[in-house]
Amino acid sequence: MFIFSHRRTLTLLDGEYGSVFKGRSLDFDELRAYVPGDEVRDIDWKATARHGSPLVKRYVAVRRHSVLLLVDTGRNMAAEASSGEGKKDIAVHAAGVMGYLACRHGDDVGLLHGNEATSLYVPPRAGEEHLERLLRDIDSQITLESPHGKIAKQLDYVLRYLKGRLLIVVVADEFLPDDHTEAMLRRLRARHEVLWLTIQDAELAPTPGSAAKDSTDVRTAEPIPSRLAMDSKVRAAYATATGERTRRRRDTFRRLGIAEEHTGGSEDVLTAIFTLLEKHRSRAATTAQRGKGGTSAG
Amino acid sequence: MELSYWWILPLTAITVVFAAWLHRRRKPRPTRAVAYGERLTGLPEYQQALRRHRLRLALAVLLGAVFLAATATAAARPTQRSTEQPEIRNRDIVLCLDVSGSMTGTDAAIAGVFQELAKEFDGERIGMVIFDSSSVHVFPLTDDYEYAAEQLKLAKEALDDGAGSFFDGTWNGEGSSLIGDGLASCVQSFPDTDPSGDQGTAKRSRSVVLATDNFLSGEPIFTLDEAVALAATKNVKVHALNPGDVDYGGRTDQPGAQLRAAAERTGGSYYKLDSPEAVPGIVREVQATEATSYRAAPQAIVTDTPAWPLGIALLAGAGMLVLGWRLEP
Repeated sequence: MFIFSHRRTLTLLDGEYGSVFKGRSLDFDELRAYVPGDEVRDIDWKATARHGSPLVKRYVAVRRHSVLLLVDTGRNMAAEASSGEGKKDIAVHAAGVMGYLACRHGDDVGLLHGNEATSLYVPPRAGEEHLERLLRDIDSQITLESPHGKIAKQLDYVLRYLKGRLLIVVVADEFLPDDHTEAMLRRLRARHEVLWLTIQDAELAPTPGSAAKDSTDVRTAEPIPSRLAMDSKVRAAYATATGERTRRRRDTFRRLGIAEEHTGGSEDVLTAIFTLLEKHRSRAATTAQRGKGGTSAG
Repeated sequence: MELSYWWILPLTAITVVFAAWLHRRRKPRPTRAVAYGERLTGLPEYQQALRRHRLRLALAVLLGAVFLAATATAAARPTQRSTEQPEIRNRDIVLCLDVSGSMTGTDAAIAGVFQELAKEFDGERIGMVIFDSSSVHVFPLTDDYEYAAEQLKLAKEALDDGAGSFFDGTWNGEGSSLIGDGLASCVQSFPDTDPSGDQGTAKRSRSVVLATDNFLSGEPIFTLDEAVALAATKNVKVHALNPGDVDYGGRTDQPGAQLRAAAERTGGSYYKLDSPEAVPGIVREVQATEATSYRAAPQAIVTDTPAWPLGIALLAGAGMLVLGWRLEP
């Protein structure tokens, strides 16, 4: 199981993804005429004998990808998820699973996280120790005191400063993408491969009779008495509004062709990630392909 | 409006401040942090519910404050201090009834009126003397109104009958309607005035309601004039009711005129009765003149007036109950 790449990598480092570079691997690509400088042991002697002039075997070099974990570490991520756990824990969990999959696959894992004030970038590196450090970063950055999150800032950072093709795994919450963010996403989608994992926000209108605690909005510090939220009229209006919001989010991602999956709690993080990876892989069949489809392994 | 325990109010204020301080120090109730609260708070339905909720809370706070203020005020014991000249009701009244045959109708009416009046008495003393040729104390001056009313009832019944053991002892002397003797007995039934003139004991007003037609027959020991003089020395006012005033002309030796002169000499009044039905009106008139003429020294009266604060507290409490019920989810 690994993060599938639709495109070939452009890097020179080894890995299991299809690469535009030719090199040594088990994947045979072509035979071509020997030119001085080629390794002698690359000469396909049987073909040379048949052909009459030296031919060299070419293989598709196996390269590795850089996986960038793009995590919203604003204050909003310190809030509760729909399961009642902290969204932070779920984010760390999800980023950990993604990072681990990438690590095991031999990919480099980098991190870009931040809020509306700052964006922090940790360049991709291999190794579980590095991943551990990234997860610690995420964990320490998400507090109720940190500035509010704004994923558009991080998207802008990626578009502006990060060169090369990346596999971007975004872990964010149920914000509503505005036009600006959507434009950024479109550009991001064009340059990188984007997987989007949404952590569902807490249900604001609890069912009547449940001993729900009062809520506090992390942005405005406005208290929301659960008693008011239990009012049947308010609940009905909330259900309609939430349905509309979810539909708009889904439409946005569908329009952009970004694989999106949501998770409510840490129990279904694995399921969600699996579904997300599958969705992303199957997008090869549904969306227009640039270049030839990547090789799949795993 | 004064407060007996005014220090309760600052104490309440201190308690309220202390409670507010405790409330501020109290750890806030654990709430869950949520993001994008505008998903809910942006809804007009929620805004409306919130406004309603706020209004109720504000009302509850207001009612609580009113309740606290009202109960604190009630606890501080509001009193009304007024200087008042209370009508003294320490009158002594002796009914002096001539029970000669012609008088019984009037006597019954008087007894009836006083029987009613005795129910309203508070502080007054009433006594009753009947006389014909000799006088009988039916009951002495008493403030046992129940007893007096009972006696007056019996007297009224007997007087309506006009015969019976009630009249026993009124014919022991010679003649009949010995008014001077009768009046003297009535006057004697008041205790002696304190010669030292001590205001405390001598302050009771004294009046005799004398019902007679002043048709004297026989030799009284006291003439009317002597009896009136005796009454004057004892500060007794004589109010005379005469059902049988049949004087001709303005001569002063006629019975009615004599009686009028006698009554007025004591500072009392004289009424000519045309029928027993007029008695109640006259008696009340006498009562009224007595009432207005006696007033005590100005007196500071302190009365508790807890009705207002307690009433407000009750309303506020009821309001809070209703609100509390509405605020429950």
